[in-house]
Amino acid sequence: MLLPFSLSLSLTSSIVQNPGQLRVHSGGIIWKKQGGGKAVEVDKADIVGVTWMKVPRTNQLGVRIKDGLYYKFTGFRDQDITSLTNFIQNAVGITPEEKQLSVSGQNWGEIDLNGNMLSFLVGSKQAFEVSLADVSQTQLQGKNEVMLEFHLDDTTGANEKDSLVEIGFHIPSSNTQFVGDETRP
Amino acid sequence: GDGRRSVRTSGELIAYKNVNDIPQARELVIQVDQKNEAILLPIYGSMVPFHVNNVKTVVSQQDNNRTGYIRIIFNVPGTPFSPHDASSLKFQGSIYLKEVSFRSKDTRHISEVVQQIKTLRRQVASRESERAERAT
Repeated sequence: MLLPFSLSLSLTSSIVQNPGQLRVHSGGIIWKKQGGGKAVEVDKADIVGVTWMKVPRTNQLGVRIKDGLYYKFTGFRDQDITSLTNFIQNAVGITPEEKQLSVSGQNWGEIDLNGNMLSFLVGSKQAFEVSLADVSQTQLQGKNEVMLEFHLDDTTGANEKDSLVEIGFHIPSSNTQFVGDETRP
Repeated sequence: GDGRRSVRTSGELIAYKNVNDIPQARELVIQVDQKNEAILLPIYGSMVPFHVNNVKTVVSQQDNNRTGYIRIIFNVPGTPFSPHDASSLKFQGSIYLKEVSFRSKDTRHISEVVQQIKTLRRQVASRESERAERAT
């Protein structure tokens, strides 16, 4: 399947958004940047998870690979999803999981950790996710606050105006998820 | 009204009902959506909405290299809350996003965002307190 898609490469907290073409084939996926140049090649044996998520006006395919990298491809039409889901199931042997995006604007929810990814969920829908691989420092403030500081990579952030530098969570004492586990945020 | 303002769960204000209600972002930069009373923050390549009513304060600063910083602090339990936030006690098991900070290359954009958030917050807060008064 050869379809034009844009790629958000989630390697650092500075996101590079590049238009390009995605090719899903029996051996894996290849993404090529528009006009040649940078390519992303993923062997199907390295794929550990695939997700679909409806994002504003389009759909996003998430591909998680063994070494912790997480590629996000956006630009899929609704009608692409069924055929691509079937193709991925048959070719890669992984059933894409459907995720939902939280748009309610609430700042309370749950934290879910999956590999390097920390997701903030509101009512089981994903509000946002960040990669712990990009966290340069974790700080506990008092007994209820956790601060995550992110690396600022000036080389990839070139086309980005606003870069995430810090996220703080408040974990009430009544929360039981992270009690006595201070090594995790 | 536009009907949206009546949409509430547990007395809380909701920014958007549907994914496609989020305005198109031309750039991954902090945006203020006056109409839906929301701020949109670029986190890992996505525009993440927060209702302005959940924002407690917003501060900005600028360093010598003309780099701007913006820090958005949200309401969490255990800090002085506006009256309608008392319902948050219902969400005792929850984890709260307490603050988010961004660095920006555009200091003018940061000052604009801070002003817009402050103005919007004031408007929503005064409307909500009028509503609360009428209800009693």
